[in-house]
Amino acid sequence: MTGPTIHDALTHAIDAYDRLALLAEDVEDEWTYVTDLSAAWRERLEAAGADGDRPAGAAGPAIDRAIDEIDRIVDPHRAIDWLSTFPQVVLVAIGERP
Amino acid sequence: MRFQDAAKDARAVVYAGIQADPLVARVAAALAEASPDQRVMARAVMTGETVDPDGWRAMFPTLFAAAPEGPTGAADLALSETLLACALEVADRGDEIRNQLRGAIVEAVTERLLAARVGAPSVRRERRILFDGVRAEIHPYDVTVERDGAGEAYDCKWGARGINADVLNQLDDARTHAADEDERLVVALVVFDAQLSCAVRLARQTAPTAGIGLVSLESLSSLAEAPGRAT
Repeated sequence: MTGPTIHDALTHAIDAYDRLALLAEDVEDEWTYVTDLSAAWRERLEAAGADGDRPAGAAGPAIDRAIDEIDRIVDPHRAIDWLSTFPQVVLVAIGERP
Repeated sequence: MRFQDAAKDARAVVYAGIQADPLVARVAAALAEASPDQRVMARAVMTGETVDPDGWRAMFPTLFAAAPEGPTGAADLALSETLLACALEVADRGDEIRNQLRGAIVEAVTERLLAARVGAPSVRRERRILFDGVRAEIHPYDVTVERDGAGEAYDCKWGARGINADVLNQLDDARTHAADEDERLVVALVVFDAQLSCAVRLARQTAPTAGIGLVSLESLSSLAEAPGRAT
């Protein structure tokens, strides 16, 4: 039996990222920035997972921990901060350049 | 073109107290030595919701795994632990205070890295730049390098969201006025955020961006090597 792959971990990360972006959209005067920013980072994360068939290893629990962190956020302004930070945390976890 | 201390108004006095917090200097010293991955960790912790160090170690296994053999691996792990500890101290302050601390930290690490290149006496904080026949800007520049024929002015931001038309116009005006006086002035934003996020923010700006450098979280160390690069 094989464990989760990098692709699996990134799929969970992108789902969580979409929830974060939805919260950030509550800041109405930053709506355009939020949508542009989340689209750019989503594309980056999807690209990182394109050849992600290798086992996630320690990156899996690391990404789960990062998802737990952003799922705690209730302030949309804080969510905007994390729209930039979360993808970098995920990339570091899978050994990619942030 | 000449540099001048900013007026000591009430905001400046309060903010000077934040800048003088020893925690700011400790975080800045660690960040100046840190790798991009360690800086991502520090940013995450200082923006985080939780202050459990083991949780953060679990989030960054590549930084906190057992140190590879040899002095470099041990030193990297020690720096990660130092950064985590002081970033948690920042995170543990109230929201308002930590927002102020984070801004002061970006300025302090900028100052430190610039000083490594040009020497501490040439690096100044909270300075205005005056040009003949031009009304002075109200807001000072966060960090300046003041050397004959090679001035530099930096505006420091915690996040890409801090990039706005006012900041860009002020930097562009300074660069333009310096050129009018046949002076060379490098102007740049230092943003403790991802380069991609800064690029997204800048793409929507209608204010001038040409000739304004951008130093992001990933390229922070370049301040110690060369003046801020143009966007």
